[in-house]
Amino acid sequence: MRDLNLLIGLAMGLNLVALGSSRLPSIIRATALQGVLLGIMPLLLEHDFGWQVVAVAVATAIGKGVVIPGLLQRAMRAAHIEREVEPFIGFVPSLLLGAFGTIAALAVARSLPLLPEHAKSLLVPGALASMLTGFVLLIGRVKAISQVCGYLIFENGIYLFGLLLIGSTPLLVEAGVLLDLTVGIFVIGIIVDRIQRAFDSLDTRKLTVLRE
Amino acid sequence: MIAGPLLTLSFSALVLAALAGRRWPRTWLALTVAGSGVALAAALLVLFGTTDWEWRGTVAFGGELPHLRLDGLSAIFLALVGVLGGAGAVYAHEYWSDASHPTSAPRGRAWWSVLVLSMMLVLTIANGLHFLLAWESFAIAAFFLITLDSGARAVRSAGWLYLAASHAGTLALFAFFALLAERTGSWDLGPMRAQAGLQPLFWLAMLGFGVKAGLFPLHVWLPSAHANAPTHVSAIMSGAAIKMGVYGLVRFSGWLPVPVSAAWVLVIVGSLSALLGIAFAFAQGDLKRLLAYCSVENVGIILVGVGGALLAVADGDSPWGRLVLAGALFHVWNHGLFKGLLFFGAGSVLHATGTREMSRLGGLWRRLPWTAASFAIGCLAVAGLPPLNGFVSEWLVYLGLFDAVTSHGATAWAAIFAALMLGSAGALALASFVKAGSMVFLGAPRGRAAAQAHEAGRAMRGAMLLLAALCVGLGLAPTLVWRALARGVAAWHPAWTVAPVPGALQAIGGTQLALAMLLPAVGWFAWRKMHGRTARRALTWDCGFAAPTARMQYSSASFAGIASGWFRWILRPRLTLRRPRGLMPTRAFRLERIPETMLDLVIVPIGGLIMQTASGARRLQHGSLQAYILYVVAGLVALGAMVLGAGIR
Repeated sequence: MRDLNLLIGLAMGLNLVALGSSRLPSIIRATALQGVLLGIMPLLLEHDFGWQVVAVAVATAIGKGVVIPGLLQRAMRAAHIEREVEPFIGFVPSLLLGAFGTIAALAVARSLPLLPEHAKSLLVPGALASMLTGFVLLIGRVKAISQVCGYLIFENGIYLFGLLLIGSTPLLVEAGVLLDLTVGIFVIGIIVDRIQRAFDSLDTRKLTVLRE
Repeated sequence: MIAGPLLTLSFSALVLAALAGRRWPRTWLALTVAGSGVALAAALLVLFGTTDWEWRGTVAFGGELPHLRLDGLSAIFLALVGVLGGAGAVYAHEYWSDASHPTSAPRGRAWWSVLVLSMMLVLTIANGLHFLLAWESFAIAAFFLITLDSGARAVRSAGWLYLAASHAGTLALFAFFALLAERTGSWDLGPMRAQAGLQPLFWLAMLGFGVKAGLFPLHVWLPSAHANAPTHVSAIMSGAAIKMGVYGLVRFSGWLPVPVSAAWVLVIVGSLSALLGIAFAFAQGDLKRLLAYCSVENVGIILVGVGGALLAVADGDSPWGRLVLAGALFHVWNHGLFKGLLFFGAGSVLHATGTREMSRLGGLWRRLPWTAASFAIGCLAVAGLPPLNGFVSEWLVYLGLFDAVTSHGATAWAAIFAALMLGSAGALALASFVKAGSMVFLGAPRGRAAAQAHEAGRAMRGAMLLLAALCVGLGLAPTLVWRALARGVAAWHPAWTVAPVPGALQAIGGTQLALAMLLPAVGWFAWRKMHGRTARRALTWDCGFAAPTARMQYSSASFAGIASGWFRWILRPRLTLRRPRGLMPTRAFRLERIPETMLDLVIVPIGGLIMQTASGARRLQHGSLQAYILYVVAGLVALGAMVLGAGIR
């Protein structure tokens, strides 16, 4: 349990890194690292794991840690952007929001009616904090790539929640989720490319001209 | 029964007319007149027969089986639509001909047939869903007819106002029919007085149909729509279309259980409509607007009758209810006829002079003798003077109200109140039509247009004469009409089955006939008296001013000055005054304009408030992805807080 909490704590720290950095490569790297950490977690949770758990762990680590970040980096290079220049929510306010969110997640998790074996783990607050971080990135960032990272972090939060149920969820569902995610990122990658071509920029504010 | 084939014939003639209308005006005229006439025949068959006509289809339309029904009540309204649909078509054939309006005349013909047909469907359909469809097509046909002359700004804005008001009413009707269907388990319409749970629904019906009928606070669309529409359209709108609202109110007050408070509201709102409607009418300077406001008054009279009948039912089926309801139903006919006639007359004046401003007209009786004569008959009828039809129907309503005064409790007070209001409204109506008739037709022409006017052609004259003849005929033979009215009353309330002709009505019929006989004699005597001596023509006494002009006659505003002063609190006239200054005054004028008070002071501010709220909400949807996600987060957090809050409690 302690090892797991350590990993979750690290993931929560990576949330803050993603919130606080303006350079796109470091956000992508933080997201990738978080994905790898998440991939390791099932191995720590299950004491007598079979080949299926190993397969899922490896697939998660590779998918979230290598494939998706690789796609994002390609998109970033193709679009020639490196930095988030003028976010809706500034980096310091984002950090403050993230920190506040993490504290709030810890407080809320305490008041939730959890099973006794989950009460001590950081899984629930970690999940809540990641989802909140994802939301802050989605709302506060202008460039499509940082929003995709926000979406990934948000998804990681859901994955953490899913770990609560790892005993009762078939692994097939986990695999399905992972597949969904990968396809989603593919689609977003294509859309990013289209946005870039249509608007000569990845600024999602320009999408407002498409309304009605 | 033969009414079924007749209605089928009529409906198919009107459908063909709508299709043929664009190309072949004469075919259209023949088909529309035939369709209207056949529908009239069907209605009269039912009214003077003994059985109702009912038909249920076997092929579903829109998921519901068609159900048509023609009973005494719908037949009364159907007869009116038949008369006005036919007469209006004849009138329009000349008034809005291809020669004078090449672009809009074909359109106008087609929509006219659609309007008449959909009104007939509204009157016969007995299925809520199909009723709404017919109602909507009726409203839309009326919109396109009002805006036939769509080049004029005033016409367009009147059309939009009508459409908006009409749909506000239709919204209430959607709610009404949907709730009715939900509570009764079927869209089928019919008597359901026994189900007391339906009581509150009547309020919705009252709102929805009240807008169409032009009840006082809901009448805002009516004056501008009726004044700006082409005149044959104004005639059918005022004569028949607003009666559809009245039909809805009468029909559903007969079928549904009605709360007693609704009967009170009908009596009070009807009385107010009558008095304030005619007060507004009196103050108008525009002839068609005057007629339009007068329709508000007459709808008020009809609804006082309906409300009175409802009070009588609540009062233990008092027999006086029969009289007020019969009076109201008769007034539906009469108002349709004389208002159609008056609008036709106004149209003839507009056609001849190009203006609706009464202060620019005058002296037209010499140039338009036929129009003047039939307009005069219309004025007598609308003012409720014997020996014409308007008198008989108002007399029936009064008789009922006077009987009600002798009953006990609150009902007597309602009757006293209504009788007083109707009495004042009647006096003002007389004054209004003395004003309208004398401003337009008597005195000297006030402008060049009036001096060079020409009489209308045969078709327009024919339509006017037909309606004038009907006004006189119905006035002279009220006992013949009684049987039809009694059928309508019995359809409304089965307990009030066919009754013998009331003595009072018989007496009034005789008196009317005697009066009518006497009138020509008096006229001949007066004519002899006047022409027996040599007439000396000279200037009237003119305060020593040697060069009087036609402009020194009473103007419409000065005629109405005192009486409209009594209603200054609601009319709120806008005055622009420039007094004569100095020893040699040059330019001076006094301009009085009566605004649409209810629209400007009540409806527009409310509409503005709704608009502001709505555009505030519109600002939430701006296309920014980030903000949309924020809404999702806010929603999720709120949901989480709710769940958490509920869990903790």
